[in-house]
Amino acid sequence: MSRNSNAQSGARALFERVHGMKSGNILIVFVAIQIIAIGASLAFPENFRYLSTSNLQVLFRSIPTLGIIAMGVNLLMISGEFDLSVGSTFALASLVMAKLFNAGTPLIVAILLAVALGIAVGGINGYIVVKSNVPSFIITLGSMWFWRGIVLLLSQASNEAFNPGPTMTNVFTASIGPVQVQFLWFVAIAILCWLLLERHRLGNHFFATGGNVNAARALGINVKRIKMTGFMILGGLASLSGIISTTRVNNVSPIQGEGLELQAIAACVIGGTALMGGRGSVLGAFLGAALLFTVQDVLLLLRAPGYYLRLFVGLIIVLAVVLNEILRKK
Amino acid sequence: MSETTNGNVPYIEMKNITKYYGGTIRALHDVNFQINRREIVGLVGDNGAGKSTLIKIISGVLQPTEGQIFVEGEEKKFTSSKIAMDSGIETIYQDMNLIDCMDIMRNIFCGRETTDAAGFLDLKEMRERAMHLLKNEVTIEGIRSPDQLVGNLSGGQKQAVSIARAMFFKNQVLLLDEPTSALSVRETHAFLDHIQKLREEGLSIVLVTHNIFHAYQVADRFFLLSQGECVLDVEKSETDIDELTRIIVAH
Ligand SMILES: Nc1ncnc2c1ncn2[C@@H]1O[C@H](COP(=O)(O)OP(=O)(O)O)[C@@H](O)[C@H]1O
Ligand SMILES: [Mg+2]
Repeated sequence: MSRNSNAQSGARALFERVHGMKSGNILIVFVAIQIIAIGASLAFPENFRYLSTSNLQVLFRSIPTLGIIAMGVNLLMISGEFDLSVGSTFALASLVMAKLFNAGTPLIVAILLAVALGIAVGGINGYIVVKSNVPSFIITLGSMWFWRGIVLLLSQASNEAFNPGPTMTNVFTASIGPVQVQFLWFVAIAILCWLLLERHRLGNHFFATGGNVNAARALGINVKRIKMTGFMILGGLASLSGIISTTRVNNVSPIQGEGLELQAIAACVIGGTALMGGRGSVLGAFLGAALLFTVQDVLLLLRAPGYYLRLFVGLIIVLAVVLNEILRKK
Repeated sequence: MSETTNGNVPYIEMKNITKYYGGTIRALHDVNFQINRREIVGLVGDNGAGKSTLIKIISGVLQPTEGQIFVEGEEKKFTSSKIAMDSGIETIYQDMNLIDCMDIMRNIFCGRETTDAAGFLDLKEMRERAMHLLKNEVTIEGIRSPDQLVGNLSGGQKQAVSIARAMFFKNQVLLLDEPTSALSVRETHAFLDHIQKLREEGLSIVLVTHNIFHAYQVADRFFLLSQGECVLDVEKSETDIDELTRIIVAH
């Protein structure tokens, strides 16, 4: 009797605690979906191969591309800004890295230059936004097309091969059992972002700037510098994601990364990041990115036709935002 | 020594301050305002008189269209609130003090976090100091912990948090823009007592209020703005409440 009620109150306390976390709602949804998927996979191992090594590898391979970008998008959204150009930065950095490497530049130099280029593109976006006071949505809509145009120009609209040899391939894309190295990169970046956001002065200023820009300024925070920093971190992460993804497929396509900007915003929003800034968590964005791919994967395993994916993702985004809003008001 | 040489120089002196918003809306016109040491100035005037604009210029949030600011006789350009804070000015604004989506502790320390050399927050230290502040110095009714989200507080509680922060980072000059508008009668009296104590500790205070009786209770000098112009700057000893009321009503 009493042991039973102890267990019950323990479970309840755990639930309350999780529920009270910033990313509690998505965590509960995510765990529920995992339990269902794992349960189904154990019950029907032949028909629903969720736990098979090959499926896990697919998941661990696909999530980081979006997830790494979502980490940066999350930071920037918390500071109250958007960047729609990250998909173009993703392609631009990959292309420049591949071209430099193919022209004989040492690999490590090509990689570092590509990351620096991403940071610079983010910096340019941020600079124009904070100087002009035009909403970042508009500015980066322009820069999304501009940099995509540059990519098409540089690549002459054709693919660029990229074969960096085994060292880089291993560093970015090796398998460790079912786990892929790029997923470890994603986890490491998420931990760094968490430290920055929750444990560092800069993160506090990101939240303050997005939460109430006038109050933040009055408290002596240089809100322009904070926003610029957000744009630059995101630019760097977008190029890193592009580099990892290019290493896996050994090829840069001039249209690669199209649509990533909206998927990354979707991942953050599903994870509870506010569109108007000031609210969001690293765990939420992490799970948001993971959830989008889990749903996609489950639908594939169920052999659902492709259009179901968009239909489901659309539903999830709307449901998540509406639910987050309701729970917040409560 | 420096006490005597600086004795007659106001801590802050503003000369010929004019402020236009967007080039056409005139909020202040040729205002001369000074803040002396150990003084409470009652800054009064009707809605739209320019009180908040003046406060924001002293605190560095706004820059004047024309005019100069002197700190201890030396001209300073307050081009950001950081510079004003570094000159010893702490402000409670009328409308932009707190960040709703952050908790009380993070609001109190926002912009002045306790960190290590690398900028990582000392959350334990900040939490303890916030606890101490809320327990012993500025108790706020209904607040149990510094972890409460500011967005969930009442208007009075929010105002009390801004007051707590200003008291915590006590500076040379305290600018208070309608700090009691959301407080109860009892809280207001406690607050007025408190700022008198701060004056005794040597602070200079500017109290913006609608309520001339509150100002009269604590201020040493009254500064009346009307449509952006100074119409009265008088010591308490040279006036009385009836005269003040008459002049305020006349404008
Ligand atoms: N940001 C602003 N933009 C344009 N006009 C403003 C702004 N802030 C205040 N004003 C105008 O300036 C005048 C003085 O306002 P304010 O300083 O807020 O007065 P008070 O605090 O005495 O009520 C008013 O006419 C007000 O409408
Ligand atoms: Mg005002």
